[in-house]
Order: sequence, then structure tokens, then C-alpha cells
Amino acid sequence: MSSELLSHTAEVKLRVRAPSLGELAAEAGRALGALQLGTTPPVASSPWRDLEIRAPDREALLVEWLNELIYLAETERWVGVEFEVLACDDMTLSVRARGMVVDEPPSRVKAATFHGLKIAATPAGLEADVVLDV
Amino acid sequence: MTSTQGVSHEQLIHDIPMTARPDMRVPARVFADDELWSQISRDRSLEQLMNVATLPGISRYAFGMPDMHEGYGFPVGGVAALRAADGVISPGGVGYDINCGVRLLVSDLAADAVRPRMQELVHELSRTIPSGTGRGSRLELSDAEVDRVLAEGCRYLVERGMADVDDLEVTEANGSLTRADPSAVSQRARARGSGQLGTLGSGNHFLEVEVVDDVLDVAKAAVYGLVRGRVTVLIHCGSRGLGHQVCTDYVRLMDQVMGKYDIHLPDRELACAPFASPEGQRYFGAMCAAANFAWANRQTIAHRVRHVFRQFFGAAGTLRLVYDVAHNMAKLEEHEGEMLCVHRKGATRAFGPRHPETPPRYRGAGQPVFIPGSMGTASYVLAGTDEASAASVGSACHGAGRALSRHAAKRSKSGHEVRRELEAAGIAVACSSSGELAEEAPFAYKDVERVVDVVHHAGLARKVARLRPLGVVKG
Repeated sequence: MSSELLSHTAEVKLRVRAPSLGELAAEAGRALGALQLGTTPPVASSPWRDLEIRAPDREALLVEWLNELIYLAETERWVGVEFEVLACDDMTLSVRARGMVVDEPPSRVKAATFHGLKIAATPAGLEADVVLDV
Repeated sequence: MTSTQGVSHEQLIHDIPMTARPDMRVPARVFADDELWSQISRDRSLEQLMNVATLPGISRYAFGMPDMHEGYGFPVGGVAALRAADGVISPGGVGYDINCGVRLLVSDLAADAVRPRMQELVHELSRTIPSGTGRGSRLELSDAEVDRVLAEGCRYLVERGMADVDDLEVTEANGSLTRADPSAVSQRARARGSGQLGTLGSGNHFLEVEVVDDVLDVAKAAVYGLVRGRVTVLIHCGSRGLGHQVCTDYVRLMDQVMGKYDIHLPDRELACAPFASPEGQRYFGAMCAAANFAWANRQTIAHRVRHVFRQFFGAAGTLRLVYDVAHNMAKLEEHEGEMLCVHRKGATRAFGPRHPETPPRYRGAGQPVFIPGSMGTASYVLAGTDEASAASVGSACHGAGRALSRHAAKRSKSGHEVRRELEAAGIAVACSSSGELAEEAPFAYKDVERVVDVVHHAGLARKVARLRPLGVVKG
């Protein structure tokens, strides 16, 4: 599993690779957490919690998942950094997550977008580029 | 001689014909000189503009302003006029920061009287006005009060003693869109925004103390109350988490209903529904409510800035609002006899002297248009023109426009270096994040002089005054 930042003039474009859709979501969640925390090393300190997402297809599932994490960060000051996928298909994602509670709600990332989003099959699994509005 | 002097109007227009792609319903038109056109051509903004040209009901052109750069869905600096009768409305065409915009306040203070206290002033402004990543507001609102803000915008703040009637007259739409529907704003959006009224946020949002450095049109500057050497304050921010969540909610909804309306688009982020449909109307009501929240946000910040200025300078520190204009918005407007839902994404209205929505006191000059540069460079005040209605559905650009990605900007220089350079240029800086200071460094943006010259010579708006920064509070 890996993630990297690609060139984008105004926003943040995240490329994520993983063997499966569930792990792709988990890796995207970790990358988002790192972005939200900036230079702070991500050390999970909160109890585990369960998160469940539903969407009409897998691209929407990834967008919904990241937007749920953005919402929790801004409203609960909780930034997810550790994720265990309990179940995943193209329309549902069930995750056990642990994170950090931060002093100030991180609002650097406004939303995950559908722009140019396609989850593509690669020899090693799946790859997706997600543009985040910052 | 400026970059575009001697260049014909036609040379500032770059058209992409409908034949460029089979799915385009109208041509695309970009206002740019050769250098800006070259910069615009380097990222994906032209492809995004051609995607905009495929929206059902689009009229005239998909317009690109001279500061255009790559965004998501629409390019930043993209304008599309969709027919209200049979066109669509697209939340992604407005963007997540609904009614991100700018307001300019002017004082009678001479810059020389303020400079010796600038560091102290900037520190106090940054202490008083929460900024940065999610720092909350000190203004706690009950659910009922949030509803009033969503329904009434700045009009509610008059009742709260945080705005006066003069402020409303010189705020776009009087700071209150009557089509706002608070019931269309989700609980999640309210949860994100309720504690954020009166906060700058992060990214490219800022508050700058500036001086009127040059007056370029004496008559219009007098109408706006701009005098060379006087201190001004420029505030740039939007609807914060509330607007972000409204957009998220309605991109999801539109994505799910597009099939019902047989709409097929090249980019899912352009998800839309007919303007007249129940979904289109519900989004429009929610967007208007979020826009009201944004105007109330900038008004609340201005209220606090006024308080700080009075603390520092007494009656001489009185700040009068020149104008407040939105950047990210879909507005119902009549152009050349046609009712249009004009989407401006990172673009501003530029109405001329004869337009009924230009404030009465500015009828002799046109609506003020603000084009902020970057932290270390000039910002401009321009005046909207009547010709812009036909040329660009009454639109001009909203800033210098990014030239470098945030990542590339940070690689080029550290935040500490950027701060040292700004301070060496006599600009006081308050910014909680060194990294974000580097991302917004002046070199990350296009040349604002060139961008403003194109706007001026293309007739979208005319130069009135140049402002120079004295102090920056970075969001």
C-alpha cells in the first residue's frame, strides 16, 4: 500500500495504491490524516470506533469515506490514523478506526471531490487519484 | 508601458471552437495575453473549461478569466451562464467554499500614522479574529440564531449591532439573498459551521492592512472614497465548514439524480440537475443560505476589525465599507434580455454604472471590483463596466491566480524565508502555520499587474486604484 501527492495547481491530488478496495480506503484515510495533522507524527490515542459508509458505487464509496473523515475531524476534532477494514464491497465499507483528538479542528481539507476520479485495476491491485479541495 | 498596452482587444481573446470536442454545446473563451495564455495552457484548466462547455443549457461561451487555473469540475476563474428556463445548476460549478469573497474597508488614517504600530496591530488582529485550521469563533449561536443568519445574512447582524444599514447598501445583494432556504441546509452543515462565524479559515484566506498606493482614475476613486496614502483593510474568506458541507451534500444528491434527467457529463464533479427541478431549487436555496452565512462571516470579521482599529486609533480609525463581492456563486441574472443562472467559480461580478444591482451611490462609477494580488504584491480596485454584460456576462477575475502548486511553492522556499522577505519589504506578518505561509508566497501566483491589465484592456473592468500591503494576517 502506498500514497503520494501528485501535481495540482490549486488543490491536493492524492494517488493511492492498495491490493483491495478496502485497503485502498484505509490507505486514503491514513494519507488524509497525515495531511490534516501537518507535521505532527500520527500516533493514535483515542479508543477504537466503528464507521460504516454506504454509496452507489466504489468511486462514490471512496469519496463518501473521505468526506466522513473530514466531517469527523471538523466537528469532533478527531483525526483518524489507524484503520482496520471489517468488510468492504463496491457499495459498503465497514471500518474499525483509531485516531487522535486534536486541540483545534483541522479544516485544511474542505472536501474530497469526484474530479477525474477513477479506481483503476493495476497488476498489484487498485489505484485511485483523488482531488481534495484545500 | 504595461504588458497589454498596444495590444488589441481581439488579441486578448482566445477562443476554443465547439468543434474541438463533439460534446461541447458552446465554444470556450479565455481572456488572456500571450504570456497568461501560455501559463493557462500548462495545466488542465482548458480541459476543465471545455468540460464546462458541455453543461446542458449553457449559453454564449464557457468563459475563462485571465487568472484561470486548474481546479476540480470548473477551473478556478471559470464562468458559465446557464439558461434558467432549460439549463442546469451545478454545485461543483460554485465550489465548496460557497460565497468565498472579498470586502474592502477604507479609513481616513494616513499610512505613516499606522506604520509604526503595524506589528502590534497585526498581532492584535490575529488575536481577535480566529484564523488558521479550524480555529473556532467566539460568537456562539443557538440553532435559532443560525437559522436567522442563514435566512437573513447581514440583515440579521444589523439587529445584533454588528452591521449598519450603510454596510448593507455596499454589499453584493445587500448581504442577504432572499431565495435562501435554511431548511435545505443539513444538520451536518450546521454542525460544521455553527461555531465558525467570524473566522477566516485557512488556505488562501487572509486579512490585509493596505495603503492606497496609487490612484489611476481620480473620479471613480473619489466615488469609492479612495485617497492616495490612506489605510484600507481587505478581508478574504467564505462560508467555512457550513458551505463546504452544503456542497458535499448536494454534489452527492446531484450525482444520484443526473440519470433521472438523462444528463451525461465528462466529469462527475460537474454533477447537476435542471435549475427548475426540485433538486435544483433545493440546492439553490441551500446555496443562498450558505452565501448569507458567508456575508455574515465577513461582516462579523469586519465588525471586529473596526473594534481593533478604534482601540488603536480612536475616531480616526473608523472604517467604512467600500464593497463586498462574492467569488464562488450561482446567481440569477438578466443579461441581454435573457434570465441566466450565472455560475462564477473563482470569478467576480463586474456590473457597470447602469446595472440596477450596482449600489445607488456607485451608479456614476460602476460596481467596485477587487483583484487581490498575493501577500507581497499589489492589489487592485477596478470598476465594473456596462460592456462586461455582453463580453463576459458581467464577470471579471478574482485574483492573480495560482501559477505554482502548493507543493512546488513549499519546495521552492520555506515559510520562514517567505516571512523574512515580506518583513524585509516592510510587511508585518501574522501566520500560525509556516508551511501555509510558503504555499501562499507571492511567487506561487501569476503576475497580478499582467492579469489586471488584461481585465482593463478587455473592458471587463477598469482600473481605479492600486493598494500595497502593510500587514498580513494569513488564514
